[in-house]
Amino acid sequence: MLKRLNELNFVIGLFFTIVSLILLADTLLNKEGMGKLNLYTGITFLIFGVFMIFLKTDKSAD
Amino acid sequence: MVYTFLGGLTSAVYNEVLQFFLIVLGLSPLVIVALHDAGGWENIKAQLQPEYTHAWKYMGHADTNPMGLHFMSLIFGLGFAMSFGYWCTDFLVVQRAMIAKNMNAAQRTPIVAALPKMLMPLIVVLPGVIAIALMTPALQSKGYSIPVNEAGGTDYTMTLPSLIAHYYPSGLLGVGITALIASFMSGMAGNVTAFNSVFTYDIYQSYFVRNKSDRHYLIVGKMITVAGILFSIGTAYIARSFNNINDFLQLVFSFVNGPLFATFLLGMFWKRTTGHGAFCGLLAGTLAAAITHGLTIAEGKGGWIAPLYEIRSGLGQAFIVAGVSWTANFIVTIIVSLATKPKSEDELKGLVYSLTKIQKGPKKRWYLDPVVLSILLLVATVLLNIIFF
Repeated sequence: MLKRLNELNFVIGLFFTIVSLILLADTLLNKEGMGKLNLYTGITFLIFGVFMIFLKTDKSAD
Repeated sequence: MVYTFLGGLTSAVYNEVLQFFLIVLGLSPLVIVALHDAGGWENIKAQLQPEYTHAWKYMGHADTNPMGLHFMSLIFGLGFAMSFGYWCTDFLVVQRAMIAKNMNAAQRTPIVAALPKMLMPLIVVLPGVIAIALMTPALQSKGYSIPVNEAGGTDYTMTLPSLIAHYYPSGLLGVGITALIASFMSGMAGNVTAFNSVFTYDIYQSYFVRNKSDRHYLIVGKMITVAGILFSIGTAYIARSFNNINDFLQLVFSFVNGPLFATFLLGMFWKRTTGHGAFCGLLAGTLAAAITHGLTIAEGKGGWIAPLYEIRSGLGQAFIVAGVSWTANFIVTIIVSLATKPKSEDELKGLVYSLTKIQKGPKKRWYLDPVVLSILLLVATVLLNIIFF
């Protein structure tokens, strides 16, 4: 896990996953008001974050 | 400043990649929501004057478009002098190719970068267009207006922050503001590291203090990083006197990148170019830029020699300045080069295209081939120009 912190895609994925969890938590805690935008953005960030975490970079591409 | 100071170019580039995703994903919801609120693209087009939503249609005459430019000035000033100048000679861009792991990756760098750059207007220009549409009488009920500055004029620089404040709920508002700050940081960190490298290697080490240890140059580089950041803070105060930051930025590019591109072009492709020619050309190009700025006036800026010619927008003025400075540099470099002694061909190997052996690597997969990628980009460019003609 710590070794993967040197991989940029993992760091980006981790960042967006954390932000998405904050946005989704906000949607769950504040059910009134304009939560829908937070919900949709949170889901998009979560999908992107998880995708980046599990993305394997092909180091032999060249 | 901390991460650029400690990590140098590597940390700046790593952060740029993270910041890129943050800017795109942080601002995309704004475009979607604001576009939906304004009634979609067709409704926006219906509310605005037609010249706001077309790239070429109203460029036939300077009087028929808000920039006050003829299409040839746009093609030459922006499309040729400034765009090639930025893309091929700006050290911020060139440095990214220089740190690539091999030749093929370096060739792909500007091509891959061009794809998101091509789509960037969707999150940079489109919000501005939506903001203007939201201020038209038909959409005033949406309750949005661009903020007013201290002088009572419209503060266009605040368009994006005010749209974020208007549309984003708490939670996403933090992401939007972070995306905005990331875009400022990313640009500044990249430019500061480029400034640091150019000053330390090309000026300090080459002309002032030679044969010192790497540690010495590293310390100088770090000091220049701090100086560069302080300098950039200073320029922010100059930018405040312009209608918007973009006008100031384009004017700086027209003074710097316009003439520089002519020097690079001749230096790379014409082996007869000499150092004296390049120096005189750069001097003449910058001088021509200053004179053009002094003789033209746009939105109250320029005309400090004599306001002989009025241009409708600061952006149009920058494109004309760029075109004139490029031409002056190109002509003067050729004349002075022909009058001075050229370097031998041996000295120019690796510097001039015709004297450099072209490296050919192993056959690449089609999606890694720069030629294939370039053709795809060109097709996309033509399609976008047809759509927004």
